[in-house]
Amino acid sequence: MRWCPSLMLFGFLAAVNALSSSGNRLLVVLEDSAEKGLYSTLWGDLEARGYNLIFESPKNEQLSLFELGDRAYDHVLLLPPKSKGFGPSLSPKNLVDFIDSDGNVLLALSGKSTTPSAVSSLLLEFDLHLPSDRSSVAVDHFNYDTLSASEKHDVLVLERPGKLRPDTKDFFGGEGVLAIPSASPHTLGDTSLLAPILRAPATAYSFNPKEDAGSVEDVFATGSQLALVSALQARNSARFTLLGSVESLQDKWFSASVQAPGGKQVETANREFAKQLTAWTFKETGVLKVGKIEHHLVKDDLTVEDLNPTIYRVKNETVFTIEVSEYAYDKYIPFEVPANDALQLEFTMLSPFHRLNLTPTKQTENSTVFSTQFTVPDQHGIFSFRVNYKRPFLTNIEEKHEVTVRHYAHNEYPRSWKISGGWVWIAGLWSVIAGFLAFVVVWLYSAPTSAADRRKKTQ
Amino acid sequence: MAESPVDVLLKGSSGQSTRGLLKVIILVTIAAAAVSSRLFSVIRFESIIHEFDPWFNFRATKYLVQNGFYDFWDWFDDRTWHPLGRVTGGTLYPGLMVTSGVIYHILRFLTIPVDIRNICVLLAPGFSGLTALAMYLLTNEMSSSPSAGLLAAAFMGITPGYISRSVAGSYDNEAIAIFLLVFTFFLWIKAVKIGSIMWGALTALFYGYMVSAWGGYVFITNLIPLHIFVLLCMGRYSSRLYISYTTWYALGTLASMQIPFVGFLPIRNSDHMSALGVFGLLQLVAFADFVRGFIPGKQFQRLLTASIILTAGLAFVGLVVLTMSGVIAPWSGRFYSLWDTGYAKIHIPIIASVSEHQPTAWPSFFFDLNFLIWLFPAGVYMCFRDLKDEHVFVIIYSVLASYFAGVMVRLMLTLTPIVCVAAALVLSYILDTYLKISSGPVTRGRSNEDASEGLRSARTPEVGITSYFSKAATTSSIIVYLLLFVAHCTWVTSNAYSSPSVVLASRMPDGSQFIIDDYREAYYWLRQNTPANAKIMSWWDYGYQIGGMADRPTLVDNNTWNNTHIATVGKAMSSREEVSYPILRQHDVDYVLVVFGGLLGYSGDDINKFLWMVRIAEGIWPDEVKERDFFTARGEYRVDDQATPTMRNSLMYKMSYHNYNKLFPTGQATDRVRGTKLPAESPQLSTLEEAFTSENWIIRIYKVKDLDNFGRDHSNAVAFDKGNKRKKATKKKGARLLRSE
Repeated sequence: MRWCPSLMLFGFLAAVNALSSSGNRLLVVLEDSAEKGLYSTLWGDLEARGYNLIFESPKNEQLSLFELGDRAYDHVLLLPPKSKGFGPSLSPKNLVDFIDSDGNVLLALSGKSTTPSAVSSLLLEFDLHLPSDRSSVAVDHFNYDTLSASEKHDVLVLERPGKLRPDTKDFFGGEGVLAIPSASPHTLGDTSLLAPILRAPATAYSFNPKEDAGSVEDVFATGSQLALVSALQARNSARFTLLGSVESLQDKWFSASVQAPGGKQVETANREFAKQLTAWTFKETGVLKVGKIEHHLVKDDLTVEDLNPTIYRVKNETVFTIEVSEYAYDKYIPFEVPANDALQLEFTMLSPFHRLNLTPTKQTENSTVFSTQFTVPDQHGIFSFRVNYKRPFLTNIEEKHEVTVRHYAHNEYPRSWKISGGWVWIAGLWSVIAGFLAFVVVWLYSAPTSAADRRKKTQ
Repeated sequence: MAESPVDVLLKGSSGQSTRGLLKVIILVTIAAAAVSSRLFSVIRFESIIHEFDPWFNFRATKYLVQNGFYDFWDWFDDRTWHPLGRVTGGTLYPGLMVTSGVIYHILRFLTIPVDIRNICVLLAPGFSGLTALAMYLLTNEMSSSPSAGLLAAAFMGITPGYISRSVAGSYDNEAIAIFLLVFTFFLWIKAVKIGSIMWGALTALFYGYMVSAWGGYVFITNLIPLHIFVLLCMGRYSSRLYISYTTWYALGTLASMQIPFVGFLPIRNSDHMSALGVFGLLQLVAFADFVRGFIPGKQFQRLLTASIILTAGLAFVGLVVLTMSGVIAPWSGRFYSLWDTGYAKIHIPIIASVSEHQPTAWPSFFFDLNFLIWLFPAGVYMCFRDLKDEHVFVIIYSVLASYFAGVMVRLMLTLTPIVCVAAALVLSYILDTYLKISSGPVTRGRSNEDASEGLRSARTPEVGITSYFSKAATTSSIIVYLLLFVAHCTWVTSNAYSSPSVVLASRMPDGSQFIIDDYREAYYWLRQNTPANAKIMSWWDYGYQIGGMADRPTLVDNNTWNNTHIATVGKAMSSREEVSYPILRQHDVDYVLVVFGGLLGYSGDDINKFLWMVRIAEGIWPDEVKERDFFTARGEYRVDDQATPTMRNSLMYKMSYHNYNKLFPTGQATDRVRGTKLPAESPQLSTLEEAFTSENWIIRIYKVKDLDNFGRDHSNAVAFDKGNKRKKATKKKGARLLRSE
C-alpha cells in the first residue's frame, strides 16, 4: 500500500492543524448510543473546533487507550456509565496510566444515577471525594430554577465563576448564568494540584433523593465546600476535569431559559461554559510553552559561544532570559503574568540564594521574553537556574538548568602592587633584599688583606 | 700469601673499582627485585588501579594530562560532593599527579607513547627501586661498613611493610612519598654531618617535593626539629647544626607554602610550631655561643643560660596564648587521635571509621617486618654505642615511629625505613664479625694507657671470633633467617597485598580461581545506562571509584572534608523512607548504590559499615538518629526477625534485603555474612525502585522515583499500582478539614 505513508503524512498535517495544543483525537465514551443525540450541539461544537470525535461504548472489548505502548487518543471524554463501571479497558489503572502519559480526561457524572465504585475509587486517588452513598445531588433552596425544578430544587442557577484567586487567570468567566441540573457534588482534598472550577453556592448542600426525604443528618458537605466542577492538573500538566452534571452539556440546557427565585427569566450560558471547559481540559487554553532560555555574563559584544556557559565564577554579573508563550485556542500569544503575580527565577544550591522577579523585556509576535540580571553569590558549588511556575489552570513551568560556580582562579586575584595595603610589606621585602645586597658589597670590599699580603707589607 | 687472581681484583686500586662495580650491580639487582616483586597483581589480574584513593589520583592525573598544569591548579571539580563541589586543585597534594604527568610528557617527547594508566600503575614499583637506592645512601651515612647500606637497600626493597603501599596499581601518595622521606632524611644527615648550605638547601628542596606529595610531611617537619632539639640538649651545638637547620627551615618552609593546600599552615598551625620554636631556640643558642666566646665570666654565662631559658619559656607562653586566641590553629583531630587512641571514636567517628586508622595488632608487626622487627632493638642499641649526631637521629626516629606505628596501622609505613636501617646495622655488624675467614688483625679493646696496672692478659686483650665452628654456625643461621625473610616477603606480597580489591578472587570448591568482578560490572552499568549527569549516592567509601570508573557525580567521597555532608548521607541511609526521600530530592539524587555481601559472604559490605553511618549521622542529628535504636533490647545488632523496627525500616536495610528472599525457597533466606536467617517477607520500597543488581549481588543500585504525578504518597501510589483499593478516607473524629483557596 504505497499511499499509506502519504495518508499518514496527511493525518499528521491534520493533527498539526488541530486547535488543541496536544492533538485532536478525542475519544467519547458513551454507553448508550441512543443518548448521542442529546448532546449533538456539543459534538458539533467540538468538531467545529477541529476535533476528531471517536465514539465508543465501554462494553467494546476492542477498546484500548493504548496502542503498541503509545497513547491511541489524545483526549477522553467519559460520560457517566450505566453499569458498574467503565469496564476493563477503562479501569482506574488504565486511566491513571493515560494521564501519566500526557492524556487529558473529562469525566462527567450525573446525580441521577449512582456513580460506580470504580469511578469513586479512581477519584479517591486524585483526592476528590464523592458522598459515600454516591448518588447524592446538590440541592439549593435559594438558587434553583423555578421553571424546571420548582419542587426538587436540584437545578442550580449560578453565576459563571470568576477568578479562583486574585493572582490567577480567568478561563471560565463571562456574562450570563449557568444551569446545573441534578449535579453530583464532590469535595476536594488538600492538594495543590486540584482546583475547583465551579463551586456550589453557600446555601447548597448534598442530598440523597433515594433515602427518605425530610431531615438530612450527617450531611456530606455544605456550601462552597461542595464543588460541582473541579480540575486536577497532574505534575506532567495532563488535565483531568470532573464535571458533576452531565446534563448541563445537553442541547436542552444549552438553550434553556431559567429563572432564579425572584429573578428574571434568562437564557443559560451553558454552551459558552461547555466550550471553555472542554477547551481548557483538552489544552486549548492555559497552556504555557517555554521557548528560548539564555543565560550569560553581562557583556557588550555577545557571541554565540558566550551563551549558556556551563561554568560561572563567583561574583559574576549574570543575565537570565526566558521566553514564554501561552496557547489561546488556535495560536500562541505572548504570555502575560497576571497582576499580583510574578514569574520568578531562583538561583539555588540546596536552597535558593537568589529569588528574583523576572520582568518582561521584549514581546515578539507570540511570546514574551522575561529577564533579570544578578550577581552570582560568593559561594562556589553546583547551582541551578530554576523557574518553577505552577499556578492553577496554567500548565507547569519547571525549568532547571545546572551550572557550576567556581572559585577564583589563581591569576584572577589583583596583583600585589594593586593592593595599597600591601605596599608596606612590598617595601619591607625589597628594602631587605637591597640591604642584603649592599651588605654583601660592603663586606666584600672591606675584606681584610690576606695573611700573605700582610707579610709582604711588613717585609 | 700467594696472590690469587681474585686477590688482584679485590685489593688495591683495582679492588676499589671492582667493589664499586659490584655495588652498582648489587644495587641495580636490588632495585629490579623491588620492582618485580610488586608486579604480582599485574600478572594475576591486569594493569588496573587498586582500591579507593588511587582512583581519585588516577582521575586527577588524567585531568592534569588533558588540561595542563594551570587548569589542574585551578580545578573546581563539579562531579564530586554534589552540590557543593570541591576546590580540588587547592585541596590535594599535587606531587604524585605532577610526577606522573612529567613522566608521561617526557616519554611522549621521546616518542614513546605510553598510556597514562600504565604510568600510574607502574609508578609505585618504579619509585620503590629508587627508595632502595635512597635507603642505601642513608644507611651508608650511619655505618662504616659497606655491607650495611646494601643490606638496608635489600630489606627496604622487599619488606612487606612498604610493599603493602606500593604494589603495582597502588597509585597513592605514599608511592612516591616514602622515597622522598628516605631521601630527605639522607640529605638531612649529610647536611648535619658536613654543615653545608648546599646539602641543607637540597634537603629543603626535597622536603618541598615531599610536602607536595603527602600529608605525612608533618613527620619530617617535626622529626628534624626534634633531632636538633635533642642535640642541643645534649650540649652538641655546633655551627654545622646552625647552618643546616636554618637553611632547611627557611627554604623548606617557603617551599612548603607554595602548595595551595598547605598555604599558611606552616605559620598558623600547631603541627608546625615545633619547627618554628626550634628555629628561634637555635638563634638564641647561637647568639649565646657567640657571646660566650667574648665574655668568659662564669656567672655571666649562667645569666645567659637563664635568660635563654626565660626567653624560650616566654615564647612557649606566647604560643599557648596565640593558640587559645585562635591565631594559631589548634591540633587537628587526626593528631589528637595519635596520642589518645580512644579520642577519635568519641569525637570524630569519621576518622575512627577508617580501618587503617585503627590501632595495630601486634602480629602485624611480624607480618610486615618479619625478623627485622627483632633485630630492630639491637640496631638501636648499636646506635647508642657510637653516638654521633646521625645516630641520635636514628634513635629519635625509632622511638617516635614505633609509637605511631602502634597507634595507627597505616603508620607502619613510616616505621619500616628505620627498621630496615637498624636491622641492616646489626646484620652487617654480625656478618662483618663472623664472615672473616682469617682471624685477621685483632681489634684492640681498650687502649692500655689507663689500664696499665691491670693484668697482662687484660692489657692487650684479643677481641674477635676465632672458632670456625661458631663462625659457620652463626653465619649459616643468619643466612637461613635471610632466606626465610625472602620467602616470607614473597609469600605475604603475593597473598595479602596484591589484590586490587576492585576485583576479588576466590577459590571454587575444586580449587580453580573464581573472579568476582561485581564492582566493575556495576560501575560500567552506571556508565553505560545512566545520563552523564546522574547523581549517585553511596557511602563515601565508593565515591572515588564511582567518580573514576563510572564517571558519575557523587555526593560524598573518600576525601572526607565535609563531615556534615557525609552525615547527611548517613541520615538518608539510616532513616525511614519518608525521612530519606526529601533528602534525596533536595540533593538531586538519581541513583543510590549499596554494597551487599549477604549472598557471597563478603564481609566488607554496607550493613557491616552501617553503624558508622548511624554514628556519624547521630553526631549531627542526635535527636533524629540514635545508635541505640539499631540494637535490640539485649544490645545485639541483628538483621533477622528480631531486628529492631528502626533497623528494618531504615533505607539501608530495605535496599540491602529488597527481594533477597526470592533467591531462596520460602523462609530459607540466609545472610551469609551475618550468618542469620532473614524474615520471610521482603522489605517494601516505595520511593526507590531497583535498577540494577550485580551478578553476585554485591552491588545493588536503586533509582529514586520522581514525585507522584497526582501528588499522592509513594506508598499509596505503589499500593494503587498493585491493585489494592484505597481505603475510603477514614472518618476522622473532630472538625472537618475544610479547603480554602
